[in-house]
Formats: sequence, C-alpha cells, structure tokens
Amino acid sequence: MNLLEIKDLSIHYVTKEGTFKSVNHVNLELEEGETIGLVGETGAGKTTTALGILRLLQSPPAKIVSGEILFKGTDLLKVSEEEMQKIRGNDIAMIFQDPMTALNPIMRVGDQITEVIELHNDCTHEEARKRMRNMLELVGINVERAREFPHQFSGGMKQRVVIAMALACNPHLLIADEPTTALDVTIQAQVLEMMNELKEKLGTSMILITHDLGIVASNCDKVAIMYAGEIVEYGSLEQIFHHISHPYTEGLFNSIPSLDKDVDRLKPIKGLMPDPSALPEGCKFNPRCQYCTEKCRTTEPPLYEIQPGHLVRCLRYGEEGQ
Amino acid sequence: MAELLRVEHLKKYFPTPAGMLHAVDDVSFTVETGTTLGVVGESGCGKSTLGRTVLRLLNPTDGKIIFDGRDITKIKGKELQNLRREMQIIFQDPFSSLNPRFSVSELISDPLRTFKLCRTAADRKKRVYELMDLVGLARRFENSYPHELDGGRRQRIGIARALSLDPKFIVCDEPVSALDVSIQAQILNLLQDLQESVGLTYIFVTHDMSVVRHISDDILVMYVGAMLEKSPSKELFKKPLHPYTKGLLSAIPIPSIDVPKTKVVLQGELSSPIEPKKQCRFCPRCPYADERCQNEVPAYEEVLPNHFVACHKVREINGL
Repeated sequence: MNLLEIKDLSIHYVTKEGTFKSVNHVNLELEEGETIGLVGETGAGKTTTALGILRLLQSPPAKIVSGEILFKGTDLLKVSEEEMQKIRGNDIAMIFQDPMTALNPIMRVGDQITEVIELHNDCTHEEARKRMRNMLELVGINVERAREFPHQFSGGMKQRVVIAMALACNPHLLIADEPTTALDVTIQAQVLEMMNELKEKLGTSMILITHDLGIVASNCDKVAIMYAGEIVEYGSLEQIFHHISHPYTEGLFNSIPSLDKDVDRLKPIKGLMPDPSALPEGCKFNPRCQYCTEKCRTTEPPLYEIQPGHLVRCLRYGEEGQ
Repeated sequence: MAELLRVEHLKKYFPTPAGMLHAVDDVSFTVETGTTLGVVGESGCGKSTLGRTVLRLLNPTDGKIIFDGRDITKIKGKELQNLRREMQIIFQDPFSSLNPRFSVSELISDPLRTFKLCRTAADRKKRVYELMDLVGLARRFENSYPHELDGGRRQRIGIARALSLDPKFIVCDEPVSALDVSIQAQILNLLQDLQESVGLTYIFVTHDMSVVRHISDDILVMYVGAMLEKSPSKELFKKPLHPYTKGLLSAIPIPSIDVPKTKVVLQGELSSPIEPKKQCRFCPRCPYADERCQNEVPAYEEVLPNHFVACHKVREINGL
C-alpha cells in the first residue's frame, strides 16, 4: 500500500481581488522509504501542496476545493483538528526553507527539541532530554551546544537543529521545503549527505520540494514537475532525466548553464509564469510553449501515460498528436 | 586587449567590537576591456565588499585601484561623482534596490536627471524609451511601480538604470540569484548581449558556480576575505588546483543522473574574518593542512601560465 496518496487535490486562495487557483487537480503517490522531488518555480504551488498535506494553510483565504489526501489509508482532510495535531510532528514532519525563522529565538536549542518530543510522546522529562541529546548527536552537533540559543548557530547548524527536531519523533513522512536553499554550496552538500544517511537509517519517506534539478538528481527516486499549480510531468528519476517530454521540463533544463558543456547562449523559456488568478485557457503553458498549436489554446490536456509510470500533460502525446 | 581595471593589494577592514574584520584582505587582479571577471565564494567571503570597494562605494583601507589608467583610490568630491558615470553597479535584490514610490520611467530617468544629461523632458523620455527597449522592458510599463512587476522585470529596471549613463564598467552583484531559473537565463542572455553590443566590462559577483562559468572569462575564488585561486574560467573547471576550489566544485549538485558521484564533501564551516591568524585562511577545513599552513600565509603565485593559486602545498597536491 502507498504511504501517501493524493487524489485530485485543488487548493484555491479566495480573496477580495479574486480567486487564485494555486493547486489544480494534483495526484501524487509515495511508497514507504521513497523520496519524491517536487520541482517548479516560484508560484508553481509546491509549498501550498505541502502545507495542504499538513493542513497548515490559513483558511480563509486558503480553501481546499476538492480532493483526498490519503495517509496510510485515512483521509487527512476528514480527520478532526485534534487528531491532525497528533499526526503533525509524529507521523508527518516538516522542514522549512528558512532555518533562521523556523526556530524560536528566545528558547535554548535543546529545550526546543525536547518540547517536540514531550508533546508527542508519553515519556518523562529525563527521557525526552536523553532522546534530544541522541538527536543532536545524530545530526552532528556537539551535545554541549544544547544550552545555546539559535543566534549562536550558523545557518547550516540551525538547519541541522531543524532537521533534528523534525526527525525527533521518527516520522514516517518528512516534507522538506527547500531545505538547503538558504545555505552555501559546501554546507548544502554536508546537509544533503546527512539527510540521505538519516533517511536510509530511519526508513523515512520524503517529499523534497526544490527548484534545483541538481539536488533532485542526487536525492530523489521520483520526480513531479509542477507548473501553474498542475503537475505537468511525473515519473521516475530515470524517466524524467533521460526522456524529457514536457516542453516546460525541456525549458527548465535548457535554462541551467552547464558545468561541462560550452554553450554560448542559454535557451530560456520566453515569457513569465501566468497569474494564478487569470490562468490561460487550454494548456496553462501554451503562451510560453514553442510547440503551441491552435488546439493547445482551447483544449486542456489530460495526463498521458507515455511509458508505465511516466505521465505527461501535453497534447503532443495525445492520440492525434502522435 | 587593453587593461581597464587594475587592483593592487586592496584591503578593506571594518572595525567591530571584537576587533578588525578583514572583509577583503590583500586582493590584486586586472580586468581587460570587454571581458568579465567572475568573483565566486560563499557568503561572508568578501566578494560583495570587493565589488563595492572597487567602485569606491566603500573607501579602501589600503591598496590601489587604477581605472582606465587613472588612480581612483583617493579621489573625492566632484571627481568621484563623475567617476560614477563610468562605473556602475547592478544590485542583487531587485525588490529592495528600487524606490517603491518611483514609477519605472522615473526610476530609469533618475540618473539622467542627477547628471543633467538630457536638456528637455522630451529628450529624457526618448532616452528612457531607448533604454527600456535595450533591456527588453515593454513601453507599456513606463508608468508602473516596482511592486506591480515581477522579479525579472524589476531586475531589468536595475540594469536600465546602470546603463543609463553609458558606463564602461559594471559590477554585477549577484544579479540573478533572486530569480527563477527560466528568468535567470533571460537576464544572463541580456547581460551577454549588452556586453557584445556596447563593449561593457563586468565584474560578476556570484555564489552560483554554473552561472559564473557560463558568463566569465576569468574567475577569482575568494575565501574569508582572501583570494585563493584565479584562472581562465574553463581551465578552473577542468583543472582546479586549490583544495578549496576542488571542494567547492564537487559540492555543486549536477542536474544529470549519469555523472558518477565522487564527492569531496568539505567538513567544517567558514572561519571568522575577525582578526584572522597569520595562517592560510582555509587550513582549518583543508584535508592537506600541515604545520606550515597553520603558521604562514601562503604566497599568491602563478603556478601554471595565467593560473594563480595561494597554497603552500599546491605543487605537492597536484603533482606539478
């Protein structure tokens, strides 16, 4: 059975200025121990999807319009807020993008981690503190630093604290929202290496949200490319990197300057991401697509399965298109 | 090619309660007309301070800056103001570097007004349109305000402002790091086109190794205020000599699944730039460090033709 199954999830932000269709008909499946990369640019709906899974969206303005989020078979959208609180942190944990703002600045680091453990486990304070010390060791922080405050830690170290906190209750699913974007490359490499080791050791499944295809290549089993709230391409790592099929994915790859090939000019995607309050008709990518035809402007493309498990939302792969 | 900028033993220290912070420590390089020097390093390595000191936005503590054959290290007043017409900067954050109360045309014409470059309002308007066309900003945005535009368009305003005075030289301080990849590629192409058509010279400050390789002719690698390596950009990626550069290059996540993952993960973190010890700045993290590295600042020398490295053990490590 799948650990997590998202079916037809749509999330809109309803405001005075209009309805922003942030996530549209998203389907995802995640097996035990797997890592899926959720890739896309600013405003693609990655973070909204993640917050939706944890039911952390502020409502209003956010509204989950349709869909099911099945976690171990139970629909998270139907459980009570009380039950949801137990699931958060215990079964599903989240690592936020910015470690500088995710920690409480006036609480000692050790106390912050202990608090999480006490909240979710039936244990004594002493046991919780012991577990906290184990966690710090696990993420490579000297146990003596538990008495320090977040401002005494560097960015990379703070992110380790956040990771220790997220993993403290052995969650089955970890949602990491751009966990290394705020870090320098050499520190990023350290943190990613550590996360991979821990994931293997603890058998945690992970949703890794990122805009960096390099991080996806070295950390994920499956990839979902998001554009304007939709998943436009979905498949295994090998299918996405070797058989790039959607024009948007192609554009993303062409936008990254290569480290080994000499390219005089980059081939960027022309134009901009559409405004989620006024999405174009037909295919959402059609105004920027180099293969756009008349049909693309009127017909909304479904997801075509071009190989077992490799889904593409593009009319070029429809029966007529081929 | 003619040399446009020469920097000699440039130092910039900031006083802090804990002692002198060595933000830029003894940096020397030259940039030739029409080329791009990329400056890379991690946060806090002094790359932005270097860019600003070269422009005299910050006053150097010591050293010399020679621009277009003229020593600009100590000039001031009117002379310094006129220098701004020749040297410009594009800032990292297109969200905070633009006055939110100015419309696009006001923002772009602001430098023109400051330097009284256009006689009449009509002339100025013509010039603003020219600049908007040049950077690919549609004229219909002339009355928009920055908050109405996305990051890519805002960065184009920043570029138009820098270009409005016809400078010879521009410091690009992380101009694309706040942008999404598809927009980033558009801006990089624009900067390259401008270099070709106007003959601009750039110092391109960034932490993104793939961007710097793409845009630079030469690359300077900095670490906690000191320069560790400088070489033509392709050579640096093919044959990095300094152990830090090697670690930095192997830490880049490569968007391909065919590359074998042989990673040298550097341990530890950047040391403090406040009152640094007389030693190699990188030695606390260096896998090859020995006693000499801990007691002596390595000299910056030409190890291979046009390839400069500051490391005691560079020959030993690379078998040269």
